[in-house]
Amino acid sequence: MPVVTLYWDELERLVGVDRETILSNLPMIGCDVERVEEDHLDVEFFPNRPDLYSVEGVARALRGFLGIETGYKNYKVKSGDWKIIVEESVKDVRPRICGCVVKGLKMSDELIRSLMEVQEDLHWTIGRNRRKMAIGVHDLRVLEFPLRYTTVDGNFSFVPLDFEEEMSIEEILKKHPKGKEYSFIVKDFEKFPIILDSNGEVVSFPPIINANRTRLTEKTTDVFIDVTGFDKNVDRALNIIATMLADRGGVVESVEVIYSNSVEVTPDLSPSKMSVDKEEIVSLLGFEISDGEIISALEKMRYGVNVRDTYFEVLVPPYRADIMHPWDIVEDIAIGYGYDRIKPDYPKTATVGKAHEWNELREIVKEIMIGLGYTEVITFTLTSERVQYEKMRRNKPKPWYYTPVMHPLTEEHTIIRTDLLPKLLEVISVNTHHPLPQKIFEVGDCVVNMKNRLKVASCSTHSKANFAEIRSFVQAFMKELDLNWEVKESEDEAFIEGRRADIIVNGKKIGVFGEIHPEVLENFEIPNPVVGMEVDLTEVFDVGELL
Amino acid sequence: MLSPIEVTLIKALGVGNYSIEEAVRKSGMNRDAILKASYLLQEKGYAEVSTKVIRKYYLTSEGKEYLEKGLPEERLVKLLKEGVKDIGELQKKMGKKEFGIALGWLKKRGVVRIENGKLILLKDPKFEEKEILKAINEGREVEENKLKNLIKRKLVDYDEKKEIYIKINKIPEVELTEYIADLTPEVIKSGSWKDKEFLKYDVRIPSKEIFTAKIHPYERIIRECRKIFLDMGFTEIKGNYIQPAFWNFDALFQPQDHPAREMQDTFYLDKYVDLRDEVEKGFLDKVKETHENGWITGSTGWGGKWDVNKARQLVLRTHTTAITIHYLANNPEPPVKAFCIDRVYRRETIDATHLPEFDQLEGVVLDRNVGFRHLLGLLKEFFAKMGFEDVRFRPGYFPYTEPSVEPEVYVDGLGWVELGGAGVFRKEVTEPLGIKGRVLAWGLGIGRLAMLRLGMKDLRRLYLPDIGWLRAVPVIKR
Repeated sequence: MPVVTLYWDELERLVGVDRETILSNLPMIGCDVERVEEDHLDVEFFPNRPDLYSVEGVARALRGFLGIETGYKNYKVKSGDWKIIVEESVKDVRPRICGCVVKGLKMSDELIRSLMEVQEDLHWTIGRNRRKMAIGVHDLRVLEFPLRYTTVDGNFSFVPLDFEEEMSIEEILKKHPKGKEYSFIVKDFEKFPIILDSNGEVVSFPPIINANRTRLTEKTTDVFIDVTGFDKNVDRALNIIATMLADRGGVVESVEVIYSNSVEVTPDLSPSKMSVDKEEIVSLLGFEISDGEIISALEKMRYGVNVRDTYFEVLVPPYRADIMHPWDIVEDIAIGYGYDRIKPDYPKTATVGKAHEWNELREIVKEIMIGLGYTEVITFTLTSERVQYEKMRRNKPKPWYYTPVMHPLTEEHTIIRTDLLPKLLEVISVNTHHPLPQKIFEVGDCVVNMKNRLKVASCSTHSKANFAEIRSFVQAFMKELDLNWEVKESEDEAFIEGRRADIIVNGKKIGVFGEIHPEVLENFEIPNPVVGMEVDLTEVFDVGELL
Repeated sequence: MLSPIEVTLIKALGVGNYSIEEAVRKSGMNRDAILKASYLLQEKGYAEVSTKVIRKYYLTSEGKEYLEKGLPEERLVKLLKEGVKDIGELQKKMGKKEFGIALGWLKKRGVVRIENGKLILLKDPKFEEKEILKAINEGREVEENKLKNLIKRKLVDYDEKKEIYIKINKIPEVELTEYIADLTPEVIKSGSWKDKEFLKYDVRIPSKEIFTAKIHPYERIIRECRKIFLDMGFTEIKGNYIQPAFWNFDALFQPQDHPAREMQDTFYLDKYVDLRDEVEKGFLDKVKETHENGWITGSTGWGGKWDVNKARQLVLRTHTTAITIHYLANNPEPPVKAFCIDRVYRRETIDATHLPEFDQLEGVVLDRNVGFRHLLGLLKEFFAKMGFEDVRFRPGYFPYTEPSVEPEVYVDGLGWVELGGAGVFRKEVTEPLGIKGRVLAWGLGIGRLAMLRLGMKDLRRLYLPDIGWLRAVPVIKR
């Protein structure tokens, strides 16, 4: 989630209240205050509210929430004589573009900083790291309209932002810091999207980099903004930037985007309308709330409201990218009303509880194990072929008997465990400095053939651990589970030959026990003898439904 | 006045000199008690405690060898008797070293003389060292002064052991009460304890440490959570760790290009399933419609194309909500109350507070006339049962709930701590799956709870246990 840095002087000035009031109210509109410093605070806003990624957006929301300036804020768009001609060739690479002109800005460091920050956050969130949407802000003075949105070859060259010499598109993708960072988006392209002005000079190579000549300076008062991408997120982003600059005193002018068979005028800063049923509000919130309270809550959240007989017609501001469903508005009613004012009420829903067989069996097994003097451990289910098979002198099974994960982060976590015993040996190996005897067990999930299985394993280590001990143990354990079982000589190489046994129930092998082979002990760097057992409980017990 | 242990010892032993082993045998008392009693008796003049160093002799490997094939001097005499006299030849037969030893021994005792490179035997010597070696080998007693030479020759060596002796000089004339040291079956059977007193131990002395076999402290917290849910009438549910992306993401209205779905954050498997069951039940089509255009849910949907292949890929589930939503889809008629506490996975680098797998707790209530306020009621009740009396609510955001809430609990010393998240399942989630009514849902990571409860700073400790720590954490809830 994006963390937005808000400077106190701007925030206090734009909201018009002191820090204390801001700090105590900010969390109640939906965010986590991460850090409070003398000159600024870092706030994490939720990914559904990109309109709050700038100090202007936060000030607008806070002024509403605090009742300083409530209701729908109307943003005017002056009809401008600016045109972008979109050529057919962009259809296959990055089909949509929209834009606007904002005039009369005072380009301070503060504003440039805020603009850059909001661009970055929008790129990351609704832009999905510039893939779906990218924004460019340019000094209007150097551009000759109409602009042309078209495609060029990789050897086409211009001077990219922060450089002084011409570079070809291909060089930019290899050498320019932004080119390298975002080349993954255009790596399969044969032709690259480009915005040119009427002199044929480059404006931008979206979504990678602007031309150096269009950069903002302290003298800039008028800007042109382009947003490129694929879908309505392009318009959402433009609306967020345009309203933010309008809040800074800028005058927004429209741009005509001319496609081969249609013309769009952007930005559209008129509200969208959504009907919210009165009964549904009360029912979803679960408490009685009057029309007046609903209206007041909506206005605090900067909506416009028209009251109808059974519903409210809600005017949704153009910068709100998250309103997909009436319930999204109901949540805002709850926020505007104040979460702290809602009286919690335990639901009357009457049902009878029931534990899951799987966990009931786990509890039983634990009782037996504790009774036999074994202490419970829990371990990661993520492990590696090396620990599960190689160190155990066992043959590696075929994939999908075990589960390899894609793109593991470490060599230790490449698969999900199929067996518990190796995990217990790992535990013993990191605990050799503690007094012996050590007797441990784990009863938990393994994944075999992509399904969970409930297994139990135990280990005992001390200088005299031997087969007689583990056999007595298994005898007692199996007796408590009330299972008819027999023993067969095992071929499990993890144990010493002649001191290893398979546990057979109904003719089926369900487990194994014995003295751990000294080579296995060496592999795990365990200096003392270890005896151990493992049983697959899923083989013999009803463990209930698994979804 | 004698103490009970003194009386017991002195009565058991009587006048005489005893090693400590004998005293243990005769009195039935343990070593420490005997020593303590003996020193007390010594102070009063009834006994003397002395330490004697006992040497236990044994043959060195060389000694054993000579015992078997004869001492070098013995063998030399034998050769001389057989007529071999030439020194060079003798040296060759015996080896230079052994010949040297033998010659030295024989010369010292005046048994041989050297004449023109030949050895002349003067008399028949006695080889009593051989007898001593034999005696030691058989464990018989040997006079110590006779061993000096053999020790010097490194044929015999010894271990030293300190042995404590207790000499009882006299028995006090006053009447002695007899005490019982160990309560044995014989004592009980004979009833002999009835006119005796029990030896009193110093109960303040700690004994050897032993360790309790116990449940893992974290599992104890999980058990507590389960109990709370079961008490509140919830049904426990369970699902596989490996889930199709459909249940983990798509059914929960997570858009297919959502950052959380990227390889960066989720462990994917290179494996796809056919989702036959989901197709048959009609879930797939409705979820697709809802993602693309909102279907009949009243939503705009995410737009774009929904790709069934992305839903078919298997993942290590990133939350237990994959299980609760599947359960609700299978049980769409209210009322339903279900919970799940189980392992989930995130592709995160391990540090003290982030693990690639951890346990999550989740509860859902499906009913017709429930709303956001009731969700807050559930949370308040649940946290109160967990021991958090003060709960407050802040707006939150989760892709599949609306309204959403982040509950915070008050913890002494830490202040308000965010503990999990909650919300009402969106219609885009419930309607395509035919779930009738509203779903109140909440969840939290149990690791966070464990950290608060156990005062832990490092979550890794939970899953790679330090046995010293497990032994140290008390069973009782703190």
